[in-house]
Amino acid sequence: MTATTAPAAPRGLTSRGPVNPWVRFLARRLFRFAASLLGLMVMAFVLIQLIPGDPARNSLGITASAQSVAQRRVELGLDKSLLDQFGHFVGGVFTGDLGTSFNLGLPVSEIIGQRWAETARLAVLAFLLAVVVAVPLGAAIAAATSGGRRRFLDMAFTSVTGLAYSIPGFLLAVGLSYVFAVRMKLLPIAGTDTVSGYVLPVIALAVGPAAALARIVRLETLRVLGEDFVRTARSKRLPTLRVFLRHVIPNTLTPTLSMGGLMLGGLLAGTILVETIFVLPGLGSTLTQSVTTKDYPMVQALVLVTGGAVLLINLVVDMLIAVADPRSTILEG
Amino acid sequence: MSALELKGLTVSYGKGRRVMTAVDNVDLTIPSGGFLGLVGESGSGKSSLGRAVAGLAPVTSGQILVDGAPLARRSLFGRTAQPVQMIFQDPSGSLDPRMTVGASIAEGVAAGGARGGRADRSAEVRRLLELVSLDPRHATSLPSRLSGGQRQRVALARALASAPSLLVADEITSALDVSVQGSVLNVVREAVATLNITTLFISHNLAVVTAMCDEIAVMYAGRIVEKAPTAELVSRPRHPYTRALLDAVPSLRRPAPRADAKVLDTEPPDPFHLPAGCPFNPRCPAGPGVHADRQICTERRPQFVELNARHLAACHFPGAVTHDTVERSAHANASLPT
Amino acid sequence: MTRRRLPAFLRTPLGISGAAGVAVLAVIAVVAPILFEDQATTGKVADAQLPPSAEYWLGTDSLGRDVFARVLVATRLSLELSLAATALCVVAGVVIGVLPVVLGRRLGRLVTAVVDFAVAFPGLLLALFLIVIFGAGSSGAVLAVGLSGAPFFARLTHTLASGIAQRDYIAASRMLRVGPVRLLVRHFLPNVAEPIVLNATIIFASVLQAFAALSFLGLGVQPPSYDWGQLFNEGLARIYVNPGQALGAAAAIVFAGLSFSALGEALSHAAGRRSGQGRRKTESAATAVSPAAERDEFAETSARLRVSGLRVEVLPEGTAESFEAVREVSFEIEAGESVGIVGESGSGKSLTASAIAGLLPTGAYATAGRIDFGGRDLRPLTVSQRAKALGTSISMVFQDPMTALNPSMRVGAQLAEVVQVHEGADRKSAMARAVGRLGQVRIPAPARRARQFPHEMSGGMRQRAVIGIGVMGSPQLIIADEPTTALDVTVQRQVLDLLEQVRADNDASLMLISHDLGVVAQRCQRALVMYGGTIVEELTTDMLRETAAHPYTRALLDCVPEVMSEPGGHLVTIPGTPPEPSAMSEGCPFAARCVSADDRCRSERPRLEAQGRAGHRVACWYPQVMVKADTLVGPGGGGA
Repeated sequence: MTATTAPAAPRGLTSRGPVNPWVRFLARRLFRFAASLLGLMVMAFVLIQLIPGDPARNSLGITASAQSVAQRRVELGLDKSLLDQFGHFVGGVFTGDLGTSFNLGLPVSEIIGQRWAETARLAVLAFLLAVVVAVPLGAAIAAATSGGRRRFLDMAFTSVTGLAYSIPGFLLAVGLSYVFAVRMKLLPIAGTDTVSGYVLPVIALAVGPAAALARIVRLETLRVLGEDFVRTARSKRLPTLRVFLRHVIPNTLTPTLSMGGLMLGGLLAGTILVETIFVLPGLGSTLTQSVTTKDYPMVQALVLVTGGAVLLINLVVDMLIAVADPRSTILEG
Repeated sequence: MSALELKGLTVSYGKGRRVMTAVDNVDLTIPSGGFLGLVGESGSGKSSLGRAVAGLAPVTSGQILVDGAPLARRSLFGRTAQPVQMIFQDPSGSLDPRMTVGASIAEGVAAGGARGGRADRSAEVRRLLELVSLDPRHATSLPSRLSGGQRQRVALARALASAPSLLVADEITSALDVSVQGSVLNVVREAVATLNITTLFISHNLAVVTAMCDEIAVMYAGRIVEKAPTAELVSRPRHPYTRALLDAVPSLRRPAPRADAKVLDTEPPDPFHLPAGCPFNPRCPAGPGVHADRQICTERRPQFVELNARHLAACHFPGAVTHDTVERSAHANASLPT
Repeated sequence: MTRRRLPAFLRTPLGISGAAGVAVLAVIAVVAPILFEDQATTGKVADAQLPPSAEYWLGTDSLGRDVFARVLVATRLSLELSLAATALCVVAGVVIGVLPVVLGRRLGRLVTAVVDFAVAFPGLLLALFLIVIFGAGSSGAVLAVGLSGAPFFARLTHTLASGIAQRDYIAASRMLRVGPVRLLVRHFLPNVAEPIVLNATIIFASVLQAFAALSFLGLGVQPPSYDWGQLFNEGLARIYVNPGQALGAAAAIVFAGLSFSALGEALSHAAGRRSGQGRRKTESAATAVSPAAERDEFAETSARLRVSGLRVEVLPEGTAESFEAVREVSFEIEAGESVGIVGESGSGKSLTASAIAGLLPTGAYATAGRIDFGGRDLRPLTVSQRAKALGTSISMVFQDPMTALNPSMRVGAQLAEVVQVHEGADRKSAMARAVGRLGQVRIPAPARRARQFPHEMSGGMRQRAVIGIGVMGSPQLIIADEPTTALDVTVQRQVLDLLEQVRADNDASLMLISHDLGVVAQRCQRALVMYGGTIVEELTTDMLRETAAHPYTRALLDCVPEVMSEPGGHLVTIPGTPPEPSAMSEGCPFAARCVSADDRCRSERPRLEAQGRAGHRVACWYPQVMVKADTLVGPGGGGA
């Protein structure tokens, strides 16, 4: 063992310390989650402070009277000291009081309460669609083209996914709705009152990430196919399918899971455009409106909510990886 | 040329419960101009020791003395090269892939405090390349154009460029084919002898070490367990581990010796949980695994004692490997005649 | 170097189309504003809201301006903004990425943690939040998009830099007390530059998309300026009147995105190939040896394994030219025999073994010859035919036990599945057998070890487990490919002892591939010496020291260091380096390094011919009969 690298991974029967590595892993991971949440709150708070000039004046425009600007300053709490403001903000986060939307005049928490489900539904449906299509596709293409076989299939796959990935989601959304809703009138243009209303937004949302995921799955599968242990499995003369299912696929899980986590986060961002195009009342379209109209309390709350969602996704992904990969918990400690 | 002296050198990594002591309280001296071989298996701490001497591993405690003076700790803004230089195992990582061979060596020449212009420097680079038996025209090549053996010789030239007084060579030929290994080793030995550089030569291959070094130290689990002049160590190994290493060298001249069945399948120790007493005891053919009455091996750590003027070993039963007819008490170790 | 490399990525269709697309865009960006500025900015009111026509390819907008001209002219702004944002992204990313190195441990960790979090945060969301700070508009969008991509580059830089910091040449420079500035400029930057530039190309496509999205949302470019996203947004409002504008802008966005990502992908493919594979072009050599003649020689024998005229071709990934790495290899192994194959790197010994086992790596093919085992030629068989024909009769042991076992599967299950598949054993009895075999390969506490994952075992234990897999069935041939190279010497002996025991217990044959002549001499009855893809000598191991006749074998014998009681003396070495398998000459592969080589050796390949005692074959025009290596002179005379 070379001295510069960290000490080798513990081995043998004696390597387990008195603390269960799972407990240690969970403790560490939860601590990191809490620390990140705190960081997120600081970021959301700082966001408003960083706005150049007077946020109150910004949000009301040049024509607003000095009186209404002063009133908004009070609304935003800008008249208090920075520390007080932060204290108030953090307190608000824990009591669910995130301020009042300038636009709608309603408590921000209420608006989010009404709208988050729509966004979550969209993102989760698109996620499931992408996973169901991309994972088997990527793995199958890898299996069929490994070792430089079926160059044509390989090229077709690369071109199709490349194209799918290069079309921005919003273009796809517009295109789909133009063809299927406007021209062919098969599906609703907007709204999700019926189940069919989800078809186009979910597809528009899922295509790009699915293409990216399929590529990653293919690459990972090819990587694992080149690993020594797959050669060992082949040397046992196992049926090809068994080699694939028992030895290849389980070892692509870790990177696929991390990619899936990133993808779910990306889908949250994707809803911004898709909700705007299909006029769906979710957090995405709310965010666009709030940014455009400088509805600061709303933006601040959305930073917290989306950021929190991303952190939560990360946490879940890490846990899943820990379950899927027996090495990860130990290496972590 | 300088003498190297290690006093109670300890290198450990990690902290708290997960601390691993790679080098454990090692005393070692190489006389000025000496060529000492350090042998051991992976995890024995030999690389950590070498890196500590070269200032690349943190010294937890103890001292590294060069000519009696402590080696200055590495400072980020030091002016000249340190007196200890090192060559590494991996020929693909030892040279910057984006720098020509000449530029890499020139970096060493400049760091050696040489004054003079560009012409002087490239003359010096040429001289160094010739010193390691390479065509000076290689100066303009990138490392990717060279073979592994050539790269290792360039690495040697760069190390020598700053005119060091000590050289650490860590497994410098273990990544090379046997047919070119000699071309590197010969050059190292000749250059070191010509320039009178004190050398610490680290290898897992006892055969290579015996061919290269005047004196050999054997390391196990972070400690030196035996040290003797090469001839003495080869013909009269006193520590059972040294004997095991000698037997393990594949040879064309003799059949593979059989290992003792009772300790045949024991594994090298877990560096985080070393056995109590002598760390070699579970694997030792002269220890408690074979001789039930030798419980002292599991209880007390043997001292590193002088068996004769230049032969030291850390074993409760030194010499008991070949003939274990005489049972020696641990207390008599120090006064044993050889 | 960069110049010489360019053709590599331009040779693929992907690279050509990407580069062409980017070139077209660049030309349009420069030329269009000069040529079409007028049509794009001033329109005739009379021509407002026209559908596409011969005059106006994409129709006109509400002010009568030519939409096609506007799309072309918008290229410049779209690319400029994306370029600015990408540049910001790279610069900010590299600075942040280097911070952890400069700041020291604690602060560095904090930066890394923040970057890790920001990387997980979707880029578009980040950009939107940043727009709140910077305000809507071109410059705000550049800042927002640029900074939202910075975490990605920060992480990339950090990963690259910490990788380089581990390299030995950095340690070497530290010992020379090279200053931090020089270290950064001479060693770090040149080595991170290429991947950074590469990723910048790839990211550029995403940045372009992000810009289009922002402008589409009305947060990017503000009228009267216009980029593609803004044109699309405008066009969408009038999609029923004239779909031309939306279509034109959308097409431009997709075209640019595709061009840049194709270019980036082609570049990174080229880079990946360079670092992964060897270089230089190959000359494939023709040989005059007839395989048929070889086969006759063995016609009468009843060997367990008989290989005749085996050739293995290797086609390095991404190259069109293959080379022959194993050429005309013929030998046989009797039942119960241990045969060693000795050779240096590139000698073809491992490929020979893999070809026999049917486990050739990607891009390598056994192109000729026969591999007779159990009365059948294995070479043409498919994977499933081979499985049926062989069952468990050939088992393999590999070089690196750390990677030879499936990391996500318990060790016991990896043994058990052999009999589950081949003998239809149920899980329980298969597991019982696995535990028994682990015990047989002398793994202590086998029942407990069977439930462990590979990473919980040491290298020696893992290698035993791999051997255990091989003896789950009933092996007749054990192929061990450098089984102890990755292990310590004392463990090496244990594993070799175990292999011999397992071979004897199963009455199997052993084929031991090693670079170490000493190991083969001690462990095998016969040795095959390989060099440059061919067998140059075949002999029994007891002949090795006395009767070896090939100059290479003799020289190799002298190179093997023995334990000496006196240091000193010149270590023997063979001048030159082993030949690149891809650049093999027509003559004897060893000619370039051989003391007694002449023109014949360089032009004509010698065949493996019987020599003196039985079981001795040599491929040399001038086989050595002298015992001393330092007086290497062949009987035929060295000169020509």
